[in-house]
Amino acid sequence: MSRPAASDRVARMLSLVPWVAARGSASVDEVCRRFDIDRDQLLHDLSVVSMVGLYPYTPDVLIELFIDDDEVCISLPQAFDRPLSLTPEQGVALVAAGATLFATPGADPDGPLARGLAKLSAVVGQGESPPLEVRLEEVSTGVLDAVRRGVYEHRQVSLDYYAYGRDELTQRVVDPYRVTTDQGQWYLSGYCHRAEADRVFRIDRIRTAELLDSTFDPSTATSDTDIFSPSVDDPRVTIDIAPDARWVVEQYPVDDIVELADGMLRVRLAVTARQWLERLLLRLGPTARVVDGPEELRGAAEASARRILARYQNP
Amino acid sequence: MDKLERLLNLIAALLETARPLTAEEIRERVPGYPDNKVSFRRSFERDKDDLREMGVPLVYEPIAGIDPPTEGYRIDRSRYYLRDPGFEPDELAALHLAVNAVQLDGGEGAEGLWKLGGVVEAEGEEPSLDGAWASLPADPNLPALYRACAERRTVEFRYHDEERTVDPHRVGYQRGRWYLTAWDRNRDADRNFRLDRISGPVVVGPPDGFAARPAGAAGMPGEPWQLGDGDEITARLLVDADHVTFAARQLGREAQVDERSDGSAVFSVAVTNWPAFRSFVLTFLEHAEVVGPPALRAQMTEWLVQVAR
Repeated sequence: MSRPAASDRVARMLSLVPWVAARGSASVDEVCRRFDIDRDQLLHDLSVVSMVGLYPYTPDVLIELFIDDDEVCISLPQAFDRPLSLTPEQGVALVAAGATLFATPGADPDGPLARGLAKLSAVVGQGESPPLEVRLEEVSTGVLDAVRRGVYEHRQVSLDYYAYGRDELTQRVVDPYRVTTDQGQWYLSGYCHRAEADRVFRIDRIRTAELLDSTFDPSTATSDTDIFSPSVDDPRVTIDIAPDARWVVEQYPVDDIVELADGMLRVRLAVTARQWLERLLLRLGPTARVVDGPEELRGAAEASARRILARYQNP
Repeated sequence: MDKLERLLNLIAALLETARPLTAEEIRERVPGYPDNKVSFRRSFERDKDDLREMGVPLVYEPIAGIDPPTEGYRIDRSRYYLRDPGFEPDELAALHLAVNAVQLDGGEGAEGLWKLGGVVEAEGEEPSLDGAWASLPADPNLPALYRACAERRTVEFRYHDEERTVDPHRVGYQRGRWYLTAWDRNRDADRNFRLDRISGPVVVGPPDGFAARPAGAAGMPGEPWQLGDGDEITARLLVDADHVTFAARQLGREAQVDERSDGSAVFSVAVTNWPAFRSFVLTFLEHAEVVGPPALRAQMTEWLVQVAR
């Protein structure tokens, strides 16, 4: 392990020393655990701290520090009796993490997290409620509980899943590996026995989730699955889009993007399903033009618009 | 000498001094600096940077009653020390769980936890989820804007090619984006700003720059179709049975105003941004239709006719 930077060590000591001093003493093991430091580094840094004091460095202004029977004992002359204030970066990181956990379904509005957040807000700002709110997409608590339990107990789940890209309702048995949120959305990743491959499912598209008694071996779980990763085999289309439709580039992985002379953007992207392309083209509207792609995808916009129009013309 | 020792001695000296110390006094009193004046200056500059980066409130100001007038350094004690939040162990454990679970990109939650008393494990609770399961994108302006909300500091920034002066109320994270909800002084109205669309520097004013507002005074940014400046129109959307659950989740149960015998349902939706709502409706493909008012239905038909051509 590389040696941590001096400023990181200072930051840690400015928190650790007041904490031990407030209690008088603490065991070496507990200090290591609380402040995420290994034993050797701790003992070394404490030996340095024991030299710290005030001009002219007479014993009465030195930090009194000794280690006896694996107990760290500290008493302070004047300075360092309380930790350094939180920086804005630390404050917002703590509040944002707390607010996210608080936004998950089933969080107790009067629980320790809520109380801790209120006290933290009072320290980093004013008032009881933090001026920061995190909203996660709404999902069915029943579905979320079932898949989380499946992850935790290594039990298979049976899902009724709406495959959005293909616009169809499917049934599948999944070995659930992980539940995550990203961009506010909830995802389940796992091995899908229907696809016979790892898949990522959006939890808001799971209609029902049934926890099965059958278990799976969690050691087979792959570590990471991309939330949206087109395969090299997916067909590509090339579309010209208006400059104000640049969000397409921000939202989807594009293979290629060229700015044309008239300001239009020519983008090439992977099509994972025909319905996905239909939705994209319908949203982009008449200014978007498919300029290249497989024959069966080229009329996607027109065909889907006509299907929907049929509804509007037969009230 | 270990740099840790020098930095700690420097902090102690500047924290406890009765008056600001000159650089020369610091060189004499704090062990571990080079004797050579040029080398001392270089080390001392680096140490000041380290202190500032750690958030140590270093002050450089005139020393009272000295002739000729000289400036010196001290640490502002009132801003240095953390106010004790008075956490119970279970509260600290809950925050620890949160910091472990939620990854704010480039966030410094773990270091913040040290200051609050370090890492405490929750007792007897099964971990609801393993490891980090949520990630929030970082935004360079987030810490400053959060602090501005907390301390009621007026801020100025450039947004949509316009200079804005706003009284910030709250930062919020929704649908993968950070927003600032603030009172726009020029518009005399609450506005939501996307943090990633703020351009140029954010200028932050002094604390208590405006009066506190009652809790819940301004809402989070709503759905995209409510983010416009247009007149509000109440749209009626008919959704097929198989898609009602999904629509209800997006639009809210209370928006569902009618359920038909075939399981399909009608939703009533307030719309101020028609293109955003049109996009939302089109994601249902042929499984939903705008049934009213007639003007919106006509606009949707016209859009589809143009695409179908």
